[in-house]
Amino acid sequence: MRKKFATITNSAVPLVFIGLLLVLWEYLVRVMAIQEWLLPGPLRILETLWGNLPLLLKHAQSTLLECLAGFVIAILISFILSFFMEEIPLLKRAFYPLLVASQTVPIISVAPLFIIWFGYGMLPKVIVVVLVCFFPIALSLLGGLAAVDRDYLELFRSMKASRLATFRMVKLPLALPSFFSGLKISASYSVMGAVIGEWLGAKQGLGTYMTLAQRSFQVDRVFAAILVVTLCSTALFTLVSLLERLIIPWNRKTEWRELE
Amino acid sequence: MPEIVVKGVQITLAGLLTLREINLVAADRSVTGILGPSGCGKSTLFNIISGLMKPDKGSVFIGGGDVMGKTGLVSYMHQKDLLLPSLNVLDNVSIPLVLRGMPRKAARTEAARHLQTFGLQGFESYYPWQLSGGMKQRAAMLRTYLFSSDTWLLDEPFASLDAITKRKMHTWLTGVLEQFRPTVLFITHDVDEALYLCDKVYVLSECPTVVKLEMSIPFSRPRQNRTILDQAYGAVRDAVMDALSI
Ligand SMILES: Nc1ncnc2c1ncn2[C@@H]1O[C@H](COP(=O)(O)OP(=O)(O)O)[C@@H](O)[C@H]1O
Ligand SMILES: [Mg+2]
Repeated sequence: MRKKFATITNSAVPLVFIGLLLVLWEYLVRVMAIQEWLLPGPLRILETLWGNLPLLLKHAQSTLLECLAGFVIAILISFILSFFMEEIPLLKRAFYPLLVASQTVPIISVAPLFIIWFGYGMLPKVIVVVLVCFFPIALSLLGGLAAVDRDYLELFRSMKASRLATFRMVKLPLALPSFFSGLKISASYSVMGAVIGEWLGAKQGLGTYMTLAQRSFQVDRVFAAILVVTLCSTALFTLVSLLERLIIPWNRKTEWRELE
Repeated sequence: MPEIVVKGVQITLAGLLTLREINLVAADRSVTGILGPSGCGKSTLFNIISGLMKPDKGSVFIGGGDVMGKTGLVSYMHQKDLLLPSLNVLDNVSIPLVLRGMPRKAARTEAARHLQTFGLQGFESYYPWQLSGGMKQRAAMLRTYLFSSDTWLLDEPFASLDAITKRKMHTWLTGVLEQFRPTVLFITHDVDEALYLCDKVYVLSECPTVVKLEMSIPFSRPRQNRTILDQAYGAVRDAVMDALSI
């Protein structure tokens, strides 16, 4: 009973807070008579969102497609790379610094190159998404694999298990909780990656919509697009969380924390 | 047949002479206890017997054959239960069968036949985090049994249990040992546990470790009684305590 009450208040607190912020925003915009092309109020933004919904959905569709494609590719690459890096220590020593160094290159500076190389189609955006998503996923997977209790490995060695069996039965499952935490971070970044890609030149997508709206000072449309981006990110995050519950139902750390 | 003989085993770990010279014999189908101070190298000795580590000197024979560096010949139960959190009880205990190449379904059926003996019936679909400490140890024991039914190395299997659970496990284990008659090497810190379960105990010294005392336990098995009332009990216990300098 108390637990249920706590869950309700837990989700109510941020909602009420956000509601209050929105009311304040609307109030200030009206009282100070701020020009619409500078900062529209939340009601105006909702109105624009509603009016442009079909168009926004069409753009969101191509953005989401780029996201999902990039996301899946990033996961595949992470799995393959992590497997070889975990099983061949020399490879890990060689690749790990490279992996970290790759993250210091600002995406925004290399993305235009992809457009030069691959044109205005989907491919350069997918590449940007892969670059954004890959690092958190690979790092969390590698971290999870490295953190596997050595005693499990010794036990399997004493049972004469092959390396592949040990990887499949011990290392991989035990690394999955860590992998999913990286996956959740990536899920929320992926939409941003696609939007950045589109921003620099594209035929469609939320990024394109935003740049067009921005150039004509339709700030309400920019905000409406931002709202859609946020919703997409949240949806992807939720999807990954659901997958996590489905794939590793035995990982009860979250439930334990709730009980305490 | 699976008699375990350790001959003149010596090993240096991280520059420290850990085992100086260990000689011991675990007779076929008997339970042999190993007592010794913390860090004297008991687990290391098990790692050597199970083939996970190679000693600098000496050799290990099981059933007459030299088994140095050969894994997979004995069943090694670690101090921790080492059940995989990702698998339920039945799948956890079937691991040795699956590793041996048995199809998963057949392995489950085979493992399920033993759940009763190991007090796990009705819990086959539970995950390790849903089990009590005693149950986890029994599940680990069943996995140990399914890997090898005749030669077991048990490394402080009950050290993490409370006194009452531990006592229940002793009674239960005596029954299981009577039923399967494996050759067992049993590491423990608990003198009474050793005297209750073992046919013979070895007491090891501090590092660099040698065998300080070898003592047969003269009380007959099975021990139905809760308390051993044998005349010799006090004297045997004192001798072991002396060797441990407690
Ligand atoms: N792989 C290893 N490398 C170096 N030192 C080790 C290794 N394993 C154990 N040791 C050391 O060897 C000693 C004996 O360890 P262990 O066999 O676990 O003792 P026990 O099981 O008797 O408590 C300890 O001091 C431990 O720190
Ligand atoms: Mg130990």
